[in-house]
Amino acid sequence: MINASKEKKNKIIDNIFKFFFLAMAILSSSFIVILVLFIFMKGISPFLPGYEFGQVDIISFLFGTTYRQDQGIYGVGFIVINTIISAFASLLLSFPISVLCALFIVKIAPKKIGEIMKSVVELLASVPSIVYGVFASGVIVIFVKWLASIFGVTTAGGSSLLAVIILLAIMIFPTITSMSITAIQAVDKDLEHASLALGATKTQTNFKVVLTSAKSGIFAGAILGIGRAFGEATAVSMVAGNKLFGPTFDLFDITRTLTSTMLAGLKETSGLDYDIRFSVGIVLLFVIFFSNWLLNLLKDRIGKNS
Amino acid sequence: MDTCFDVKNLNLYYGEKQALKNINIDLYKNKVTAFIGPSGCGKSTFLRCLNRMNDLIENCRIEGTILKDGVNIYEPKTDVVELRTKVGMVFQKPNPFPMSIYENIVYGPKCHGLKNKAELNQIVEKSLKQAALWDEVHDRLHESALGLSGGQQQRLCIARAIAMQPEVILMDEPTSALDPIATSKIEELIESLKKDYTIIIVTHSMQQASRVSDYTAFFLLGDMVEYDTTSIIFQNPKDKRTEDYITGRFG
Repeated sequence: MINASKEKKNKIIDNIFKFFFLAMAILSSSFIVILVLFIFMKGISPFLPGYEFGQVDIISFLFGTTYRQDQGIYGVGFIVINTIISAFASLLLSFPISVLCALFIVKIAPKKIGEIMKSVVELLASVPSIVYGVFASGVIVIFVKWLASIFGVTTAGGSSLLAVIILLAIMIFPTITSMSITAIQAVDKDLEHASLALGATKTQTNFKVVLTSAKSGIFAGAILGIGRAFGEATAVSMVAGNKLFGPTFDLFDITRTLTSTMLAGLKETSGLDYDIRFSVGIVLLFVIFFSNWLLNLLKDRIGKNS
Repeated sequence: MDTCFDVKNLNLYYGEKQALKNINIDLYKNKVTAFIGPSGCGKSTFLRCLNRMNDLIENCRIEGTILKDGVNIYEPKTDVVELRTKVGMVFQKPNPFPMSIYENIVYGPKCHGLKNKAELNQIVEKSLKQAALWDEVHDRLHESALGLSGGQQQRLCIARAIAMQPEVILMDEPTSALDPIATSKIEELIESLKKDYTIIIVTHSMQQASRVSDYTAFFLLGDMVEYDTTSIIFQNPKDKRTEDYITGRFG
């Protein structure tokens, strides 16, 4: 009888905790739902009939090549292209450097140096984006200006697509590197030994076995990195120049990204110009989802043997 | 009888700790030699001296000489990469690369600059046939090697070693992770490989040593206690410690 009452008590406690955990899970996942709902409701409203500041045509919004709030023209087509260009170009620049750096840290550098470099990379990952932005507007911009002058091009004080790409490449470097470090460290030592025992050199082993075995994790790092490149607003806004039309293909020309568009003058505006930023946010979300899906597809294809 | 390795006064230290004590042994060509002994006796460590895999371990110091074809493999001018192409190795746990079966086999030859497709195809077929794996995998050469069973993976690793056409194949407890059926297949394979290769196998199982080897060396606490033909070691050992071990009194 004592056992039976104890069992009953335990059951009640189990149930209480079950509901408690459930409540926590609902609470945290509801944030995402609320966030997405809020952005979508706000963002879609300008395209609905009867919008208080004048309905916006969704086609000219999505495919437009001019974005001028002073004239009330809101077209983000070129901004999407600009965003994709700057994000992928920065990934292209950063990816090989990050992966080789990770390989060096884990496999080649003497232990002490490797550890120091690893903590430097981790430190870089935690530097706030505004600091990168200040650095970009003080250093990268001057470098770009100097580079442009060699080619005989004048820039808008160095603010340019190239400056954005370099800035983003630096910003995503620690993300990709630290993910790659983890992936490379996780490669089974046995595989390396097997390769060396077959008479492969250290370099052949590093490239053909270590990197190929770690490719899945390295690719996950690239996906995280490009996510950061897409989402970075503060620092990018400081060197993008916010061009009014586009798209921008010239490295020395100023550009405009979805995030810099959302951020520019956010606090000094209202009405349509305010609401439309949520629409831009929806577009950004879709761009990120789409490129993540694309990269994941690529990742599965590349990593299908591992 | 031709010797393959001529080991003289070999001492090995991990930092301060001596792991191998004054090993002297002649290992014969085209024979199967088994190293037996309890865990931690130094048999695997000694095996790894023969293709200099101990070089990869920090704080590992080696004294003495190992002559292969009259040349000390521990001479500074020895090309380790070349040594390892002549002395292949199969590990305890099957460790195929995360690539296709085909890519696993051609990995070694490709690393040494072989590019000719026809030649590579030939190597793949020959190695897999020698490793008794061809019939099971010839229709899925381009599928991942990780999809094979443990026993098949281990035979693939043997095929991968054979692809380099080594003189010697070192096997470090190659069946300890396998079931009895896969084990007997590997043992049959060792028997058939003997005519072309010198095989040196470390094993935990005395039955295995007695089944597959021509010569057996018994190791204990870093010493090589006794080395003779397998039949003498198992039927008429000279050393009391060997007898105690093979009759199961310890280990």
